[in-house]
Amino acid sequence: MNYERELLKGNTDSLLLCLINHQPMYGYKIIKEIEKRSNGYFQFKEGTLYPALHRLEKAGLVQGKWQRLPSGQERRYYYITQRGQETLAERLTIWQDFATAVALIVKPPTPLKSNAD
Amino acid sequence: MPTKLKYIDGLKHDLRLDATIEANVVRELNAHLEDKSHELIESGLSEKEANATALKLLGSPRIVSKQMYEVYSQGSWRQAIFAALPHLLVAALFAMHCWKNTFWLIGLLVAIAGSVIYGWSRGKPTWLFPWLGYCLIPVMAVGILLIYLPGSWTWFAATAYIPLALLVIFAITKQTIKKDWLFASLMLLPIPIVLGWMLALELEDKAIWNAQLYEFAPLIALSFAVLALTVAAFIRIRQRWAKVGALLTLEILIIVIVGLGGNSTIGFGGWLILVLLALLLLLGPALLERRMRQSERKRAKSPNKSTHRLSSSISARRN
Repeated sequence: MNYERELLKGNTDSLLLCLINHQPMYGYKIIKEIEKRSNGYFQFKEGTLYPALHRLEKAGLVQGKWQRLPSGQERRYYYITQRGQETLAERLTIWQDFATAVALIVKPPTPLKSNAD
Repeated sequence: MPTKLKYIDGLKHDLRLDATIEANVVRELNAHLEDKSHELIESGLSEKEANATALKLLGSPRIVSKQMYEVYSQGSWRQAIFAALPHLLVAALFAMHCWKNTFWLIGLLVAIAGSVIYGWSRGKPTWLFPWLGYCLIPVMAVGILLIYLPGSWTWFAATAYIPLALLVIFAITKQTIKKDWLFASLMLLPIPIVLGWMLALELEDKAIWNAQLYEFAPLIALSFAVLALTVAAFIRIRQRWAKVGALLTLEILIIVIVGLGGNSTIGFGGWLILVLLALLLLLGPALLERRMRQSERKRAKSPNKSTHRLSSSISARRN
């Protein structure tokens, strides 16, 4: 359980950047979208999402802008910045290399046929 | 008080951020609660239940505000250097034996006045408070010098000047505490050090203290250099408890340096008083803030003036 939490914690920023890169969103929508896209696997603690978004904003990776919805309510949409896109690309490459390496180790080795057989 | 207001009140209590950021955070969390409550009402909950559940799912306001504080509490290296600059300038003043150089002294005064005016007009950023502290030092130092003057000056200092000076320092400290008590501690940081060095010098005899000043100069410079390091560490650290820890540890270290330099004149008793004064100036603002908030809450609860008082206290905090 802790391992799962640690994994999510370590990848929160990348997940958020990935979603915002796909489409600018506001906090509540991000939580719903993450839940939907992961088939309910990722369930963000709601209170921790906003500090994470503000951390990304302070680092210049996303930018928050208040926008009016058709209903008249205002929501703070997050847009990815140029720097955010570059960081995301870097992280995705690292993640893919890491996942490939893990898969190679986890996969049972194919038995080698020796000459004696 | 409705639960949502209580939650937001609790959140604001620990956020201690700039007014604009705080307003954005509160507005954003309010919007989130609105969306979540709406979703829960649609799923069949009553409005009251939905609001309570939405608040519960958002988590403790203390944890949310702590995490949010840690996002914004870390200043950049540039801010850290600028905040440490007044202490570095004073350290350089003593390291290069320039305390009699008019050009240096005027330059230092202009830098202090300019930075304080600039910072004050720019919404009092964190780097302002070490500079502001240097505006209080002359107020205090004049009082000490008056004590050493002959005849009626001592009486004037004891009965009129020192109480008035303390009143001015207290008023500025109280104003700073409204923003964050840690900024008041940061501002008052050099007072025990300046006081310690003034006590170490034998101010009655000009020839003696002049010679002593040359003797103590390297240690005085070292103490202000450590003070600069303390301020820079304070700006760069994210966690609140670590900021308090850094201030306490390094301030005590500086007082040890003062004690080593002026041991013959200060003595162990004097050194102990300096340590107690440092603790009082570092942690006293926290107690004062607590009292101020308690009395603010009491006033807000009184039915007649609650709205007016609350709005005035909020606007005072913003300024």
